[in-house]
Amino acid sequence: MKIIDCRNMACPAPVISVKKALEEHGELQVLLDNGAPRENVGRFARNRGFQVSEEQIETGAWALSITSDVNITTSCTSRDLNSGRVLLITSNCLGEGPEELGRLLMKNFIHTLLETRDQPTSILFLNSGIFLTTDGSDVLEALEKLKGMGVEILSCGLCLDFFGCKEKLRVGGTTNMLSTAENLLSAAQVIKL
Amino acid sequence: MIEEGHLLAVFNSAHRVMKAESILKALNLPILLIPAPRKLLTDCGLAIRFSEDFRDCIMQALATESLLPEFVTRYENGKFITIWTDSSAT
Repeated sequence: MKIIDCRNMACPAPVISVKKALEEHGELQVLLDNGAPRENVGRFARNRGFQVSEEQIETGAWALSITSDVNITTSCTSRDLNSGRVLLITSNCLGEGPEELGRLLMKNFIHTLLETRDQPTSILFLNSGIFLTTDGSDVLEALEKLKGMGVEILSCGLCLDFFGCKEKLRVGGTTNMLSTAENLLSAAQVIKL
Repeated sequence: MIEEGHLLAVFNSAHRVMKAESILKALNLPILLIPAPRKLLTDCGLAIRFSEDFRDCIMQALATESLLPEFVTRYENGKFITIWTDSSAT
């Protein structure tokens, strides 16, 4: 099995390297740093129907074995097109106007999602939107409940890093731009707030 | 978001509820500003959720700031029971 070493690579390089390697080799073992690289690569592979097994090889580093009997040329499209409703949240405020009101409206909106009949498949948090999924957010409880109801909660890893909030993520997982772009392009409906 | 025994202080103005939230948070009181449940049909649609344990502290702080809510309701057995109303309200 082909082995690639993606340790010490910045997001989204590991996912891109793995994508290329899978297209060439079909199966592989990838060495990754713990945290966002491990999560992102694992999610990327699973979304394409691959089996992923993980093994810790040293402190802070993991080996992911990615295997499948499905040809990569078909598995690349395994995440069905039109596969759901994505909510893209790019700010911790809703709408333009006074910041205080914007924060209140966003908080109100997320709490209200719990009562709506048609919930999103996933919610992507980018830019200052990541302040809603990290320490100090007033909507952690609501997001945790949405997650429990099957809504995928994902925060941009680059944004978490930019704002120094990598260790402060309290709900959901991290994602990278490749996954974000694919999520948006394959969704039946994208609602940007 | 609302569980058995929770209390909701319902306000009749967005400005008042936002100010109340800010004051109670500054006092480190465990509260959460949430949309008022549909059943309560309020104008601004916001309420402050808290537990019975902090009821006295919260009401006292709001009274000091002249920010008492329109009414306070307790969620019991699937229903909202009004336990306090602003007697000055007309």
